[in-house]
Amino acid sequence: MSAHAATADHSHHDDHGHHHEPGFLQKYVFSTDHKTIGIQYGITAMLFLLFGFYLMMVMRWSIAYPHEPLPGWMSWVFTDTWQARWLQDGKVTGDAYNMFGAMHGTIMVFLGVVPLGFGAFGNYVTPLQIGAVDMAFPKLNMVSYWVYLLGGLTMCASFFMESGAAKSGWTNYSPLAGFADGQIVNQWLAGQTQWLLGLVLLITSSLLGSVNFITTIINLRARGMTWMRLPFFVWAMLVTGFLLLLAFPPLEAAGIMQLVDRVFHSSFFMPSGLFTKSEGLAELSGGGSPLLFQHLFWFLGHPEVYVLLLPSIACVAEIIPVNTRRPMWGYKSMVYGVIVLGFLSFIVWAHHMYLTGMGPKISTWFQITTVLISVPSVILLTALMISLWGGSIRFTPAMIWACAFIPMFGIGGLTGLPLAFNLVDLHLHDTYYVIGHFHYVVAPGILFGLFGGVHHWYPKITGRYMSKTLNHLHFWPTLICMNFLFFPMLIQGMAGFHRRWYNGGDAYLAKAADSTNVFAKTVAEFIDLNIMMSWAAWLMALFQLPFIINLFFSMFRGKKVESDNPWNATTLEWATPTPPGHGNFTFDVASYRGPYEYSQPGADKDYTPQWEKPKVEAPTEAPATAPTADH
Amino acid sequence: MEIPYIFTPRKDTGMVNSKIAIWLFLASEVMLFGGFFSSYVYLRLGADYPWPERALPVLPGLINTFVLIASSVTVVFAWAGLKLRKWRMFQVNMSITIFCAAIFMVLKGIEYNVKFHHQAVRLDDYTILEGHLNYDKNTLDANGKEVGEDVIRVQAEKLTFSTMRYHAAWVEEILRQATEKGSKITLAEDVLIEGQSVTKGTELSVALLKRVCKNHLDSRGNNASVRTDALRDEWTTAKAKAENAGKRGWEIAPTIEINAEKIAPLLKKETSSLAFVVNPPLQLWFPHRDIKEGDAQSRLRDDTVIDGKLLDSPVNIHNLDAIDFRHLVMKAEEKGLDPIVAIENSWLIKNSEEAKAAWNWNKEQTAKLEKELLDNYGVDEKGVAKRVPTETERYRIGWKDFISKANGVDKGDAEIVISEEFFGPNYKLREAKHTFPHLKIPRKEVFLSGKFTPAWNTYYAIYFTMTFLHGLHVIGGAVVLGYYLFRGKKMYQSNPEWLANRVEVGGLFWHFVDLVWIFLFPILYLM
Repeated sequence: MSAHAATADHSHHDDHGHHHEPGFLQKYVFSTDHKTIGIQYGITAMLFLLFGFYLMMVMRWSIAYPHEPLPGWMSWVFTDTWQARWLQDGKVTGDAYNMFGAMHGTIMVFLGVVPLGFGAFGNYVTPLQIGAVDMAFPKLNMVSYWVYLLGGLTMCASFFMESGAAKSGWTNYSPLAGFADGQIVNQWLAGQTQWLLGLVLLITSSLLGSVNFITTIINLRARGMTWMRLPFFVWAMLVTGFLLLLAFPPLEAAGIMQLVDRVFHSSFFMPSGLFTKSEGLAELSGGGSPLLFQHLFWFLGHPEVYVLLLPSIACVAEIIPVNTRRPMWGYKSMVYGVIVLGFLSFIVWAHHMYLTGMGPKISTWFQITTVLISVPSVILLTALMISLWGGSIRFTPAMIWACAFIPMFGIGGLTGLPLAFNLVDLHLHDTYYVIGHFHYVVAPGILFGLFGGVHHWYPKITGRYMSKTLNHLHFWPTLICMNFLFFPMLIQGMAGFHRRWYNGGDAYLAKAADSTNVFAKTVAEFIDLNIMMSWAAWLMALFQLPFIINLFFSMFRGKKVESDNPWNATTLEWATPTPPGHGNFTFDVASYRGPYEYSQPGADKDYTPQWEKPKVEAPTEAPATAPTADH
Repeated sequence: MEIPYIFTPRKDTGMVNSKIAIWLFLASEVMLFGGFFSSYVYLRLGADYPWPERALPVLPGLINTFVLIASSVTVVFAWAGLKLRKWRMFQVNMSITIFCAAIFMVLKGIEYNVKFHHQAVRLDDYTILEGHLNYDKNTLDANGKEVGEDVIRVQAEKLTFSTMRYHAAWVEEILRQATEKGSKITLAEDVLIEGQSVTKGTELSVALLKRVCKNHLDSRGNNASVRTDALRDEWTTAKAKAENAGKRGWEIAPTIEINAEKIAPLLKKETSSLAFVVNPPLQLWFPHRDIKEGDAQSRLRDDTVIDGKLLDSPVNIHNLDAIDFRHLVMKAEEKGLDPIVAIENSWLIKNSEEAKAAWNWNKEQTAKLEKELLDNYGVDEKGVAKRVPTETERYRIGWKDFISKANGVDKGDAEIVISEEFFGPNYKLREAKHTFPHLKIPRKEVFLSGKFTPAWNTYYAIYFTMTFLHGLHVIGGAVVLGYYLFRGKKMYQSNPEWLANRVEVGGLFWHFVDLVWIFLFPILYLM
């Protein structure tokens, strides 16, 4: 499936001055080629996404049918020993639910979506779009992938340990996370510690990745690729790179401190006089602050949301102009919007902490910045929406996903507004409303954009189209299931359903007969939605099969592309051979114009690629055909 | 294929790739250390105990500051040497840089080592005692670490191991102690393992526990799947029943029970724990973090239950070299109590004559100092003394106080003074004059005890975390610079500018490492 290097290898000058055909390992496994690394990231991330999805399916069983044993079609994955330890008579225990919940969040965010968006698409597309031969530091790029994989496996390996995997939520709040698995004698082998080790590795990986991306974008742009001629995708990657570069380190600091708390019994995040039922008065010095962890965590945590979002919105921003055959509406406002978004994302973190009692002044400040950040987000989404206006839209598979992205992400964004306000958040905090909100952003929003990206660049990567039929079979059920899964969450959340109930609120039902117990009655009223949501989730899993089949079979059976530029697109990645070889371009690549010159008046076709030299033989037409997109 | 702008800067950005990358990397590092510095501020402002100001010996830190600054200068000279194409100049200066790094790490190592051997105890009334455990009677724990006399002792009569969770190293340690003292640890009852009976009286071994564990896991796995299948069957039939049609899960649930009789023949015997008799009863000791002690029954962290009497487990401090009442005073003032009364009612003053003498001596000294300050600085308009003794001067009796109490202010041998600045008091030298009291603290008075490690308080936690991380950066930087020094010749010969670029990048990192220390030194040593 990987790049067949043979097609474009005449520019293959080795650093050591002698030619050699790289062996299988060097070409596909320990490759330094950004395209292979991108594909490695993509496949690994999708496998992690699948695993994260599975964990969620098990959780949803416990929510919908808390009294019944896990059915065979889900429990066959477990060994008997594992089942004996973490299930009770086949029913999901609270511990197992917590473990799956924490790992679902962690895997989806850190091991799934970020590597897919930034690692896979960023790696494959960015150097191509700026006309570079590779990343600035190819070896660093390879190391970045392997460190990511190691970090991911470290985290997941803890499922098989005596302690099980981390179970203190994906946010890993102390003091809960500082205590969890405390009974394990060798703390290095406790799931909760492994989570931290994995996290430190992942941060290292993203540090290497982001340094590499930013350097590449700054220094390796082709001739004529000025800043305002960069495709929006590249801008988004640049901003994402800065977010990863600057937001992750404080979490690394927090991770290291929590590691010291766990392994060396310090009290960074442990207050004085901590008392637990099992341990009594903790044998700790105390004097630390649990709030400090939350500050450090969310200092990453919020920019992380944009790290998830930007690669996806970047894919959509590439797909829409190509398939509407008109220039992107408000390219510059989008660029400035994404930069402002990046800046603002660093000063909104404490809106995750309204309920911690930081004090009204701090809350008010963060409320203001939070509302402010919706402005650039709305600019991005609006520009994408207006770009559709008056276009002659081609509903290619990629475009279908992009079109669904806009309203779905819109719901996600709008449901976030109430959460920005202190007063409303006090009611909604930690309820399913929050879960519904950010899943709307991440699942039908971000993932849809990334699915679109897969369909869009697949022909470049493999030389074949993905099947349209299978795509419809994937897209429509997924869209429907997503909404049946996440919309009821908003309703349940407003009714007060707490996000960490492992039995979906079942414990309250017995009390619903008591007329004075209003909350139990509310729970009884909305609890049946659980069953519908769970079935939507399981059905959605089923309808991912067409995608998986499509992804692998199209590699061999898909319709072959007619040209190197099958979508008649304008950006530089379509100027490469299909698939691009080592070194990417077969000619001296340069950019002569802005990225989205579709349907230019006077042009002989409805798109004018960036790499096409302006026609010098028609001087009279020159001013009209060369709009100054670069100022 | 060649990546451009490795040797020559790109025209419009004016930089080579590596230069951009190192600045980005440093930006990230600033955020990392920024996270730690912010945490320092947060922890210090929020501390609910007296923050240990100037607790570390300043001299080694100060020397280290100058050593690092010097190395930052020489690394620039080394780079200049390359730019001037003077290989020798590069070599000499780079060697000095790396030598400085080594000095830094050695001094750091000495500082760490002193702390790892210095014991601190916080009593329940917040009195803090510092000193040394008796080294002569040291014992080693299962990992070969010194535990001193800060251990919990129990008279074990019966040991019950958790089959799933026993920690092999601890079992071996118990066996070792048993062999040493001639005790036998034997199985209390017959057990059935893999269909074979292991008889009562079989001796404890890790191999035996392993077999039991495997057997237990197998049985548990088997039983779990039997029970799961049974429960699934129950649900299938319950849902099919006419009277349950349309009912929700929680309504049916109470009627559902696994038919115990039906599955009984399929179940295997689980052995979740294994009891052993110790004959004759054996005195065992454990580091206090590993055991939850009780009068008749104690429990280890790996769920091993020890039946038997808890023995006297005091903390024996030989060479008590500091008594610190500041925390106690803070708590007393919070409650509105007179600090002096609170101190004089503390367990320490009531139970140790030597400590009492030291406290009385300190009170005199403070009174003298107070008078001296009053005489020297006078009072302000409101009649309040302009300068008064600090909390530390009033309520902390440090090792220098003990020395001056014993033999007057020691201005003796400069060599001794300097070495004591680094390593703390020279106990052998001071022992003859009984400078430092000896003290036995009953376990029930102890709230927390340990070495000066991150566990002692958040100040030491952040001190160790930040300086260790900084030390890693020093080592990392020195390794990279060392690589250029010893392996750079080839690069230099092929393209001197290449090596110069790299040294420049390495040098930038080195300056950053220096800069971090320049922030660390004042906040940890001086403030």
